[in-house]
This record gives sequence, structure tokens and C-alpha cells, in this order.
Amino acid sequence: MSTANNGEPIINLRGVSKSFGATQVLRDVNLDVQPGEVLVLIGASGSGKSTVLRIMSGLETADAGEVWVNRVPLHDARRAKDIRGHVGMVFQQFNLFPHKNALGNVTLALIKARKMSPADARKRALEALDRVGLADRAEHYPGQLSGGQQQRVAIARALAVEPGIMFFDEATSALDPELVGEVTEVMRTLARDGMTMVVVTHEMGFARKTADRVVFMDKGVIAEQGAPEQMFVNPQNERTRQFLHRVLDH
Amino acid sequence: MSSELLYTSLSILLQGLVATLLLSVAAIAGSTLIGLVAAVLRSFGPAGTRYIATLYTELFRGTPVLITLLFIYFGVSYFGYAIDVFAAGVVGLSVYQGAYIAEVFRSGIEAVPKGQWEVSQILGLSKWQTFFSVILPQTGKIVLPPLVGQYLSLIKDTSIVSMIGMSELMHGGQAIVDRVGKPVEIYGLVAVLYFIVCFPLSQWVRRHDRRRSVLQ
Repeated sequence: MSTANNGEPIINLRGVSKSFGATQVLRDVNLDVQPGEVLVLIGASGSGKSTVLRIMSGLETADAGEVWVNRVPLHDARRAKDIRGHVGMVFQQFNLFPHKNALGNVTLALIKARKMSPADARKRALEALDRVGLADRAEHYPGQLSGGQQQRVAIARALAVEPGIMFFDEATSALDPELVGEVTEVMRTLARDGMTMVVVTHEMGFARKTADRVVFMDKGVIAEQGAPEQMFVNPQNERTRQFLHRVLDH
Repeated sequence: MSSELLYTSLSILLQGLVATLLLSVAAIAGSTLIGLVAAVLRSFGPAGTRYIATLYTELFRGTPVLITLLFIYFGVSYFGYAIDVFAAGVVGLSVYQGAYIAEVFRSGIEAVPKGQWEVSQILGLSKWQTFFSVILPQTGKIVLPPLVGQYLSLIKDTSIVSMIGMSELMHGGQAIVDRVGKPVEIYGLVAVLYFIVCFPLSQWVRRHDRRRSVLQ
């Protein structure tokens, strides 16, 4: 298991707290992620798991504590921007660019942010689309693709910038049940290829089969964490037990 | 109306119409540019420019276009410079309509989901790259109908520039009425000419709107 790895963590949260107005959503969260690890965050809605992900990706700033991601101190406002373009994120709502076809979605950041030539960007984009099994849909616009295909284009777009870490924020929650499999399959392949991944999901099957470590969050704190077999078979925390009972028995 | 009078009137009015069209095109370009800049500054410019842009839009939305035109035309002479009526008309209409167009663009910018900004940030695009490559192209579809509505109102507002003495369509009509009378016939003709310019534009937008709702 990767957590036994004593090397430098690629993500390091120390004493992280966050409030939105009067609501405290995270309190004193400490969390390390090792390179190549697949970490799955589970918990009820409002438990703070998506906020952890948004702080790691630089979309939100912690009120207190230290956040190191890919050696960038995100708690330091002057340096936080350095993370942009070095991590990937896949959103529940896909967030594809509706005015660009699949290829244009992937090449945009390569051309504008990475300053690649259109020909090089196109080549890399086609490789990324091929990786998610959509090379034959390159000319399709988001509106012409199924939800599962759209999410795979979003994954290809994130992969094309060669991120050090991939974040997934409920990537399958907006999909029809029969389309979930094609997306989790792509995520599983990425995990096998050694990508560092932090995944917020309600897909307990994915957590159980693919995670190196499962973190259960409750009311803004990490209530319990461990290997999936331990978390799913023999959870120690009563709240973990209740949560798993609710999501697995419906 | 005798056919001779109709013929002379039409030739004068058509000359006026050409001036009206030139004025309209120049002011549409000017007001669109001003409106876009004001909307961008108001939505996500630095704090100081945000305040100035808000002040600008509220100021011109709250005063009549004629006052704006008079201020520019006489204000410039007051400071000892000369400005011709065409330039004063273009600047006045641009500044005035720019305030409305700024609001059109602002509502369009705000209608684009926040997730588009977030994913662009993660991908490493700068704020300006995001605005020009991701947000603005999506805004186009949303703002086109209200934008063209604003252009129609601008074209009709050009008639007010006759008040500072510009020889455009309205001014041409007044000149004929001053000489030969027949205000109903002449102003009727003037109205028909404005209508011929504006109607196809509004029809085009309606068709575009309908096609869009069919696509969705």
C-alpha cells in the first residue's frame, strides 16, 4: 500500500480550516497523499470532502493551515498561482466548452497556456482522446455527445496538460446509471498507470476496488481512514459504519 | 403630393439617409467597444475601475441622450476646440448607448456558468485568456438579441443629432417641411425610411432567436 511509502508526499495538508460565512466546513484537517496513490474521499453531502478537493486544486483558499501541492504552497497567496496548469480536475457538471468540439476543448489550453503550435497541440489532443476511447469523436461538439462521452472528453482535456495529480469531484454523479461504467473504467485505467488521484465519489464499488486508501469525512473532519478492505469490512468509527450502511443498503 | 415634390424630397431624404447610416455604423462600433470595456471592468476589473464603470453606466442611463449630445458639442467649443457635428454625434451616441450595451454584455458574462472559469483556471489559462477564448464566445449567443435591440434604438436616436445641426435623415425632412410644408407627407416618408432600415434587423434577430430555441 502506498501509504507505507515514507517519501515526500505530493499533497500535504496541515491544520486546514475553512468557513463559508458563519458555517465552518473544515476544521483542522491533516492529510498526506503519496505520489501514485489513489485516495478516495467519502462522506455525506456537506461533510467537507468537495471543499478539501477544491482547496487542493487551488479553487478555494484555506482560512488557516498549510497546503502543499506538487511543492507549491497554496496557502501563500503570492505563489498559489503556480499550481495552475499542473493539476487536472474533472467536475460533476463536465464543464466542457460548449462552443468548441472535443478536439478544440482539449487543444485550447495547450495552445493558449502552453504555447504549443496548433499541429503539436492537435497531435497531443488526439492521443489524449484516444486514451479515453474517443479518438473517433474528435469533431463532435459537447451537445452531440452522451454524458459519459462528455465526461471522458473532460478527462482527456485534463490529461493533455500532463498534470502531476488528477482530482475528480463527483465525476459520475450527473450521469445516467448506465453511463457510469465507461467513466469509472477510464479512471481505473489511469489508476493502474500510476496517476496520483484524489477522488470524491459516491461510487462505493470504485472506492472498494480501486482506492489505495479511503478517507471518511464527517462534519468537516476526517473521522476515519484506512485501506478499503478495512474501511468497508470492519470500520472502527460508528459514524463510518452508519454512513456505509446507508449508502450500501439502498 | 405631386410626383415632382416626391422626387425632389426623396433625393434630399436619401442623402440624409446615407448620413444617418454612416452615423449609425460609426456609433454602433463605438458604443459596442465602450460597452464591452465597461462591462469587463465592472465585472472583474480592479476595484477602482469597477467603481468608475458603474458610475459611467448609471450616469448615462439616467440622463437624456440630447443632454449628452449638447454637452459634447458645446462643451468641446467651451474649452476652445472645434468639433464637427458628425464627430460630436458619434461620440455622444457611442457614450450614451455604450452604457446600455455595457449592461447587455454584463448580463451575458454573468450568464456563463462559474464552472467555465474554474476549469479554465485549473487548465492554466489566465483571466484574460479565459475571458476572450472561453467566456466571450459563449456570451455572443446570449447577448445577440438584446444587443441588436439596442442597435435599433441607437439608429432611431441618430434623429436627435439633427438638434445640433447635422444634416441627416430627420434634418432633411425638417428642411423640406420648412420650405414647402406638407409635414404629414414628408414626416411620413421619413418614418418609412427609418422603418426600412430597422425592420429587417429586427426580423433577422427574431428569426435567429427562433432558430436557437428550435436547436435547444
